[in-house]
Amino acid sequence: MADTPIERLGDLTATTLTRRRLLINAGVIAGGVMLAGPLAACGTTSTSTGGSPKRGGNFRLGVTGGGSGDIIDGQKIVTKPDQARLVAGFETLLEYDTNYKLQTTGLAESVTQDAPDKWTIKLKSGITFHNGKTLGADDVIYSLQRISDPKQGLFGTAGLASVDPNNITKVDDRTVRLNLKQADSTIGDQLGQYYNGIVPVGYTRAGEQIGTGAYKVQSFTKGQQSVHVRNTNYWRSGLPYFDTVTVIDFPDVAAQVNALLSGQIDAMTDIPAAQISVVRGHSNLAILEGQGADWRPLCMAIDMPPFDDNNVRQAFRLMVDRNAMLQQVFSGHGRIANDLYSPFDPAFDSSLPQRHQDIAQAKSLLHKAGKDNLVVDLHTTDGAAGMVDSANIFASQAKAAGVTVNVHNDPNYYGDLYLKLAFSVDFWGTRNFLPQVANGSIPTAPYNECHWPPKDSNYLSLYQQALAEPNAGKRADLIHQMQKLEYDQGGYIIPMFNNLVDAYSTKVGGLNNGSKATLNLDSFGHGYRSIYFTA
Amino acid sequence: MLERPGPTGGPARTGGIGLFILRRILQGLLVLVLVSIVVFAATQALPGDPARAILGRGATPASLAALREQLHLNQPVVQQYLTWATGLLHGDAGRSFAAQEPVSKLLGDRIVNTAFLLICSGLISIPLSILIGSYAALWRDRPFDVVTSLVTLVFAALPEFVVGVALVVLFATTVFHFLPAITLIPPGGRPWEQPIAIILPTLTLVLAVTPYVVRIMRASMVEVLESDYVEMARLKGLPERLVLRRRALPNALGPTFQVIAINLAYLAGGVIVVEYIFNYAGIGGALRDAVSNRDLPVVQAIAMIIAGLYVVLNLLADIATILVTPRLRTRL
Repeated sequence: MADTPIERLGDLTATTLTRRRLLINAGVIAGGVMLAGPLAACGTTSTSTGGSPKRGGNFRLGVTGGGSGDIIDGQKIVTKPDQARLVAGFETLLEYDTNYKLQTTGLAESVTQDAPDKWTIKLKSGITFHNGKTLGADDVIYSLQRISDPKQGLFGTAGLASVDPNNITKVDDRTVRLNLKQADSTIGDQLGQYYNGIVPVGYTRAGEQIGTGAYKVQSFTKGQQSVHVRNTNYWRSGLPYFDTVTVIDFPDVAAQVNALLSGQIDAMTDIPAAQISVVRGHSNLAILEGQGADWRPLCMAIDMPPFDDNNVRQAFRLMVDRNAMLQQVFSGHGRIANDLYSPFDPAFDSSLPQRHQDIAQAKSLLHKAGKDNLVVDLHTTDGAAGMVDSANIFASQAKAAGVTVNVHNDPNYYGDLYLKLAFSVDFWGTRNFLPQVANGSIPTAPYNECHWPPKDSNYLSLYQQALAEPNAGKRADLIHQMQKLEYDQGGYIIPMFNNLVDAYSTKVGGLNNGSKATLNLDSFGHGYRSIYFTA
Repeated sequence: MLERPGPTGGPARTGGIGLFILRRILQGLLVLVLVSIVVFAATQALPGDPARAILGRGATPASLAALREQLHLNQPVVQQYLTWATGLLHGDAGRSFAAQEPVSKLLGDRIVNTAFLLICSGLISIPLSILIGSYAALWRDRPFDVVTSLVTLVFAALPEFVVGVALVVLFATTVFHFLPAITLIPPGGRPWEQPIAIILPTLTLVLAVTPYVVRIMRASMVEVLESDYVEMARLKGLPERLVLRRRALPNALGPTFQVIAINLAYLAGGVIVVEYIFNYAGIGGALRDAVSNRDLPVVQAIAMIIAGLYVVLNLLADIATILVTPRLRTRL
């Protein structure tokens, strides 16, 4: 396939600044841009699997977590099979590579911040939708307006809050100008999120599923399966390899493993730790482990007793044996965390000392707060793997500090109680820091479990400054100050990040092991375009 | 046929059976009406709000209100029940909350799939268990009987999921590899198009039902074989084959039919577990999914289907029992 021309801007220099033209590269403006075919997108930390590609075949993927609530929409998911289906048919303007760096391997040739509140999107030429229509500026405008429409209930709405849907202008057939309501340097990050797919003008969920992706939907039955056929006009020449991709819903992980063992599916998502050795015992099967940055925080609401006292919050953070929890909840498939999210963000402050269990210190902090022999309720639900286990293990670890934690596993947690609890467990996916703050750590965020930040803190103003700051270095300084505030006073206990562990048949090639993909199976083989059956 | 006690033939008896069936059908309908009230009340009592369950983390007050309106959750409960019950009478089970599709569309293929699995299991397990049970009684205390007794006791004690998983390990994944581990019926496809894929689920259900029926058949056959009329038939010099087929079997079948009916009805529930193990696209999977989604119309429809099956099977068992039991038949 033809390489896209490489545009190099080098490090942030006076030239680029005066031109106020910053090419998006991983949210920082540093670094040249690596643009190449999908196979070259493998990062340094991951290794590609399999032998030489063979054309054709039906790739059968088993996914748990779906049901009759399944949907296909280029800009929304409800269940995990929805993710597997979305990426087959829809693509984003920018893409994250296997190192979680933003790249212009998507539909956009470039995405530039011309001014703190002005962005320009330039599309690649020669990209067509499944129905043969050429991708143009109008489609991008329609897609972004659809994401910004709160009535649609889409995932991307909160992240693109600064976009003024009525002030997106068409410069030419392939160029779109965004005039923001307020300065925002995270637009590029948002445009790389898999759920911000580009759809054609007039697209609706109920209508025909038309995207630019490598496969188009042939059939779809909620809770059962979908069949996707190769897009013969795909813009990445020579791709994809499979004739069809079949995504099959599994209500039960045991049936999913059995189907893989007996060769009825070629790959499966989310293999339980206990089954990994079973898969390893079969020479024709393998495990794919992605370094995800999914997290299951224990959330302490900083304005509700007893957590309105920072001594208590710090004590609780010191009660956690993070390694033990990682072993018990995810059988070690992950990394311990330091109560801070977004570890893949280039501005992540890894210099803050790692917290370890310190029962004596925790007890003394609780004593200082006058909270000896504390009893608290911890609410959790089976919303994502590990949420219930994390709560139970925390409860047992807290005993050492004389704290009684009563765990409530409530199936209606996301109904009436959510966001109103003093102490609860939640789950999050991988995001860079500022987009994550927009979703969970400021008063306007839709899911602010901890009721962060404190009233007397300058966190919010730091956030506004960081959002408006186009200089990556200065932005990183502001982000470090925000992270320090959360590290010292925050309401999250983040014990670990869990890996995405999947299993597949070794006849499938092109999967990147160890990738920092946000979705399972190396983001489903980059929308099934870079994986194949080996010859 | 000379020894058959009581009157034979005649219009009075036919009318008796006809009236009896009619009465039982009416009773069955009454049961279904009562069940519909209980099912509706029970699903209303399910904790959690369907609107919130559907919207999940994205529930805003405005979207909640709009969805409640759309799902008619704001109407009084009695009115909701009447709307639902009237719809059922017209063959309309409502719309699924989660899938936003008519329940009939959601369940149509699944009902066919589950029914096919149940029919296959019934067609195999009923004759098989009658045969095994009869021979075990006939060869009482001989090796066949002892082995049968032991094996049926073991399988009766094992839950379906253990049997199912063991069969998968044995025939599909670990020991041998010649049968598929799960049943993948593509949407719009039919289970009979790939008979090999339904062997294991059918076998699991057969193993779940057969032991009970074998044991009751054996017990009832033993009792009949010791009865005076069998003794008399033998003394009269009737060939043993005829004694068994004409005298013993019909009399032993009466109580067995009741057990078969209960077991087949039980299958309608047990099939949920089996469908889960084999990823079989039937009503079991739909029920599980619907409960977790608070998808009340689907839960209600499936509960009514299973209740209907119970009523029909019991009715059939009663009729069959009467047909093979002249004593009862004449009393009508």
